[in-house]
Amino acid sequence: MKILVCISVVPDTTSKITLDSTNTRINSEGITFIVGPYDDYALSRAIEIKEQTQAELVVLHVGSSDSDALIRKCLALGADRAVRIDTAALDSYQVAQEIIHYAKDQSFDLIMMGKESIDYNSGIVHALVAHGLSYNHFSPVMHLELDANKLILEIETDSGKSKVSTTLPAILGCQEPIAEWKIPSMRGIMTARTKEIAVISPIHSNFEQHIAAHVVETERLQKMISAEDAESLIDILKSENLI
Amino acid sequence: MKNLAVFIDSKNGQISESSKRLLDLSSSWLVQNGLEGIYVYGFEEQSSDSFNSFSSIKQYIHITIPGLVNNNQVIAPLLEDIKQKEIDQFFYVKSLLVDSIAAFLAESLSIPLVSNVIKLAKVSDGYQLTKSIFSGKATLTTEINNNSFIAAFNKSFTFETTSQAGNLAISQAVIALGTDAQNKLIENYPLTGAIPLPDAAIVVGAGRGFNDPSNWGIVEDLAKELGAATACSKPVSDLNWRPHHEHVGQTGVKIAPKLYIACGISGAIQHLAGVNGSRKIVVINNDPEAPFFKHADYGIVGDVFDVLPRLLNKLKSH
Ligand SMILES: Cc1cc2nc3c(=O)[nH]c(=O)nc-3n(C[C@H](O)[C@H](O)[C@H](O)COP(=O)(O)OP(=O)(O)OC[C@H]3O[C@@H](n4cnc5c(N)ncnc54)[C@H](O)[C@@H]3O)c2cc1C
Ligand SMILES: Nc1ncnc2c1ncn2[C@@H]1O[C@H](COP(=O)(O)O)[C@@H](O)[C@H]1O
Repeated sequence: MKILVCISVVPDTTSKITLDSTNTRINSEGITFIVGPYDDYALSRAIEIKEQTQAELVVLHVGSSDSDALIRKCLALGADRAVRIDTAALDSYQVAQEIIHYAKDQSFDLIMMGKESIDYNSGIVHALVAHGLSYNHFSPVMHLELDANKLILEIETDSGKSKVSTTLPAILGCQEPIAEWKIPSMRGIMTARTKEIAVISPIHSNFEQHIAAHVVETERLQKMISAEDAESLIDILKSENLI
Repeated sequence: MKNLAVFIDSKNGQISESSKRLLDLSSSWLVQNGLEGIYVYGFEEQSSDSFNSFSSIKQYIHITIPGLVNNNQVIAPLLEDIKQKEIDQFFYVKSLLVDSIAAFLAESLSIPLVSNVIKLAKVSDGYQLTKSIFSGKATLTTEINNNSFIAAFNKSFTFETTSQAGNLAISQAVIALGTDAQNKLIENYPLTGAIPLPDAAIVVGAGRGFNDPSNWGIVEDLAKELGAATACSKPVSDLNWRPHHEHVGQTGVKIAPKLYIACGISGAIQHLAGVNGSRKIVVINNDPEAPFFKHADYGIVGDVFDVLPRLLNKLKSH
């Protein structure tokens, strides 16, 4: 079995997002970057499956060499090798085109991603890749069990939860509690140093997109109402047609 | 310039509020951009007067789904229909089902799919799509120089309408999706809450400040009175005080209601990540230093066990 895990690299969830002087880019100064939290769940479950089935586990990232240290961390956690497509990730559609191009003749049995990246929150890369490669697709997946050549999944749907079975090849967008996040061992960190990060060139996607403006959300009103006067909240909410 | 397709969401034949707003937006968009007409796609039968208040609708197409919708083969019949209709643009309000269909259309038709759109504008050589990013902490406006695209709207989208006359009777059609041999449903666990959290226009959230699951009665009563869904912080669901699907935040459900009332929740950044998209936020907390107050439109420093019953009384007395 061959498994691919796709990771995004995103500002730490506690980061305050500000813009640089051009007002079109996120100011990356002072921001700690992390592997997307949902992608981390996908990777953690993939590592468990690898340990159980001796599968080959490949990690893929679309992005610059700035992400190499985090890719190395995925290798330390247990991935066998990594691939980095060397282009800035601008948009979910573009990222999906790059992943499809890379994966189309690699015959992965299972591709695992996060249910969404926490920067663009599109939740769409896995669906695009699944349809691009004609794989079965499920997201968000909360439980995953292997059953011979079938997968038994617990998924979230628009109206609740469902238990389903699917066949390989499949692409899954993952979320908790599919697995517990893992911490690299000392031995993992040592062996990761010799593992390969293959860098491949991008295809560039087929439509033009550029950033025209970036705006950080406006501040909230921050009006305080004294506790003695709490009932007046109801009048305010009514007058604003909020209730 | 050709047609616009709009996917709508409905329950028991009632079109959801966000889909109605999207149809309003679509009618105006059509006029502003010289498109021909709107094809509306949905997953339920609709009575002929469902579309009375919207203009320029050419047809309603009811998509029937015999099984799961998780691979290309199943969706192929829909693609055939769409190809015949000369559709340039596709609009929908984000949902798991339509996300999957839209991704298939984007791949099959080689057109870009832009997620979490909150605003749309025509510019001289293309379109400007503004999307919500970082869970609502920022927005990003991108320009695409392509006449065809799919826009997945975030529930909090805004638009300016130009008023329009309604359609009278519109024609209807049915398309059946394929059956799925590879993917099988084993069991469904429908949501138990009265109002599904992701769709709710009003949400009452409660955190560890409530101390014990037996104290949730007041939260539920208030929610019921407001027609709101209930939500909770992550520790509350981790402690099994409330079901996991009620937990909002970075690792839980993301909500974008018109009103979010957060009670006894500190306002940790991971919680805010799930609620930033709310139009207005009310915070009730007995600690004046609670970080949530900085992210509130209206704040009350007070004990939830005192304030909530009084709010409920006031609501009932109206
Ligand atoms: C990687 C990661 C992901 C996470 N994801 C999420 C997530 O998705 N969602 C989430 O919610 N959290 C998440 N968390 C946890 C988050 O950091 C906070 O710990 C959590 O949100 C705190 O929940 P709380 O506000 O209910 O509890 P507390 O922090 O304990 O706050 C309770 C609040 O209630 C107030 N209070 C107490 N008694 C009363 C009273 N009688 N009346 C009024 N107010 C009272 C207190 O002043 C306090 O502000 C995540 C954490 C990590 C590290
Ligand atoms: N730059 C990237 N490189 C590799 N995988 C990515 C990248 N961006 C997103 N993904 C994967 O796609 C999933 C969904 O992302 P999105 O559709 O942007 O919300 C993420 O959880 C990742 O698993």
